[in-house]
Amino acid sequence: MSEMMWTEKYRPRTLDDIVNQEEIVSRLKHFVKTRDFPHLLFAGPPGTGKTTAILAFARDLFGKYFEENFLELNASDERGIDIIRTRVKDFARTRAIGDVPVKIIALDEADNMTADAQQALRRTMEKYTRTARFCLICNYSSKIIEPIQSRCAVFRFAPLKEEDVAKRLKWIAEQENVNLTEDGVQAILYVSEGDMRRAINTLQAAAALGTTVDSDTVYKVTGRARPEEVREMIKLALSGRFIEARKKLYELLITYGLSGSDIVRQIHREIYNLDISEEWKVRLAEYTGEIDFRLSEGAHEDIQLSALLAHFALAGAQMQGG
Amino acid sequence: MSVVPWTEKYAPRRISEIVKNTDAAMKLLKLVREWKPGSKGILLYGPPGTGKTVSVYAVANELGYEVIEMNASDTRNVRSVMRVAGSAAMQSSLFAKKGKIVLIDEIDGLSGKEDRGGLGAIIDVIKSSRFPVVLTANDPWDPRFASLRRYCELIEYKRLTMWDIVKVLRSICQKEGIIADAEILKEIAKNAEGDLRSAINDLQALAEGRKRLTKDMLSILARRDREKNVFEVLRMLFSAKTAKTATFALSTADVDYEMLMYWINENIPHHMEDVVELAKAYDALSRADVFLGRIKREQNWKLLPYALELMSAGVALARDKSKFRFVKYNFPTWLKEMKATKGKRDLQKSIGEKIKKRCHTSVVRAINEFLPFIRVIFKNNPEMGAKLAKWFRFNEEEIAFIVGTDKTSKEIIKLLK
Repeated sequence: MSEMMWTEKYRPRTLDDIVNQEEIVSRLKHFVKTRDFPHLLFAGPPGTGKTTAILAFARDLFGKYFEENFLELNASDERGIDIIRTRVKDFARTRAIGDVPVKIIALDEADNMTADAQQALRRTMEKYTRTARFCLICNYSSKIIEPIQSRCAVFRFAPLKEEDVAKRLKWIAEQENVNLTEDGVQAILYVSEGDMRRAINTLQAAAALGTTVDSDTVYKVTGRARPEEVREMIKLALSGRFIEARKKLYELLITYGLSGSDIVRQIHREIYNLDISEEWKVRLAEYTGEIDFRLSEGAHEDIQLSALLAHFALAGAQMQGG
Repeated sequence: MSVVPWTEKYAPRRISEIVKNTDAAMKLLKLVREWKPGSKGILLYGPPGTGKTVSVYAVANELGYEVIEMNASDTRNVRSVMRVAGSAAMQSSLFAKKGKIVLIDEIDGLSGKEDRGGLGAIIDVIKSSRFPVVLTANDPWDPRFASLRRYCELIEYKRLTMWDIVKVLRSICQKEGIIADAEILKEIAKNAEGDLRSAINDLQALAEGRKRLTKDMLSILARRDREKNVFEVLRMLFSAKTAKTATFALSTADVDYEMLMYWINENIPHHMEDVVELAKAYDALSRADVFLGRIKREQNWKLLPYALELMSAGVALARDKSKFRFVKYNFPTWLKEMKATKGKRDLQKSIGEKIKKRCHTSVVRAINEFLPFIRVIFKNNPEMGAKLAKWFRFNEEEIAFIVGTDKTSKEIIKLLK
């Protein structure tokens, strides 16, 4: 018996298997038919099927020549545009195999590229336009420079509907002989916030605890996967113990390897579980959102999050009427 | 062990021996010689180690004058300034008809309660003195000195170039009988960033008990001195009352702005115990960081001044109620932690790489979005964990890292085989 991550095991293989993002899927199917398509830009929140869509599209398009004609790169890992350029060049200089005239290069997390790197990418895109098509994948299309956007057909992936995620979870549970209760489904929906990847990962981890997955097991998983440190950190900050709170923050960033935006998201969630007035919850959330924004604009996560903690320290003092 | 500091042993005795700022020293000589009661005081300003104080002594030597000195370590309330500088200024020398120079060194150091009135007293001394009063400062534009400036002639001392410094170091080596690689002298000079005094101190510390200097000895020194400089920068920055002084503090730093940002971040809470100030300071630092992000992403370097102003002035001026206090500065915890956890993080990264290969994602996302769940599975269900470990091709070390406990990881490894 082998096992794999369920996100991969149950990733739709073909466009026909994809049950949502209907508009996008139907246009991609059209491209499969005509074998002619422009560069693509997929934008949307995490876990809404962007990578799945391009993989399925390429499989449908290339059939058995998928491996030969499809290159997957990740802009946040492939350090520097030069490496991307070399790999693209090596890949794109030979003609596509099979009866589709172009190869596909998928570049994930393209919004992490600097403007300079994007300019260089633009030139590369133009250079190989006869042999290759690019598919850029990102969370925010606004971070992609205009000249690239204008060369691409832009597809916006909407957040998944709750019922679609629920349906998928139930189906997977059935395949895996997992007894997924209704409140279990609701709990997963709540913690995954429309992110299919996280929903499925949560289900798999919960199933590892026992064959029945209910809200209890789901929260056990999220409790363990999302360390208590976040709550403690917030409490320390609110009580004015800033230096200790910052120490916890470093632990989360360094030892747990969490990303800044992940921590902000957890803080945001945690705010509503705090024993403070409703008005203050909203105020804290507002500043958390501000820092979330600055995180994506700024250079140092530790500094942005320290600023958030300092603000919490201030809020904590004000709550006590200080 | 009493060793004469080389900075004293080789201090210039004559104006012609002053490096780089000879013109400034000549100007000083002229002002001192032509000085008569009622003339202005003389304010020498420039970065540390550019020869301000030594040129006062060289001038005195050339003219056969006596120097009455006060420096930052003296308490400078009204009375003490009057007692030391005032009396020296009012009375002629007892033993000779020699002239005098009243030197009030490092007036940047004036601050806080103890020195209250010190500046006013200095102005009084300048106005009533029968001898020239010479002051030195790093930052003459500090608004505290606004009225003082009106009573002074200003002479600027410029930062020394690397080659100016190398020349001095080489001649000292010759006199001390030390054979030094050209490389290391260059490195010392570069490290000093225009500060001859620190370069000579570095040289002496390196040469302690040695007759030969090679390049590999340098690493010992570099950091200690940089830290010392950082402390000074931080002290100036956090005590600044105006935007100009705070940004000026940054410009005197030997380390780059990125490093400074870590230092500032680390030490904000030690200065800002009041939460209002703390939050304000951090808001400024966070905004500075937003500019840095834009600079990095877009290579838009013309935005750098805004970032620097926010991280210096923005932070410093957040402290608008509580008093400045001296604190012991800490090395950035963030950098310390990053260094200490390097091995762990490398392991985490290699795990991320393996997840990435399997799950069409990036290393960062693998660590954030997958690893926490994989960890739950490994810890609670060794059987499923072993199967996944096989699929991901995790090695034993990686499994042990993910699980974190010996017992379960051994179980998984046993199941794997």
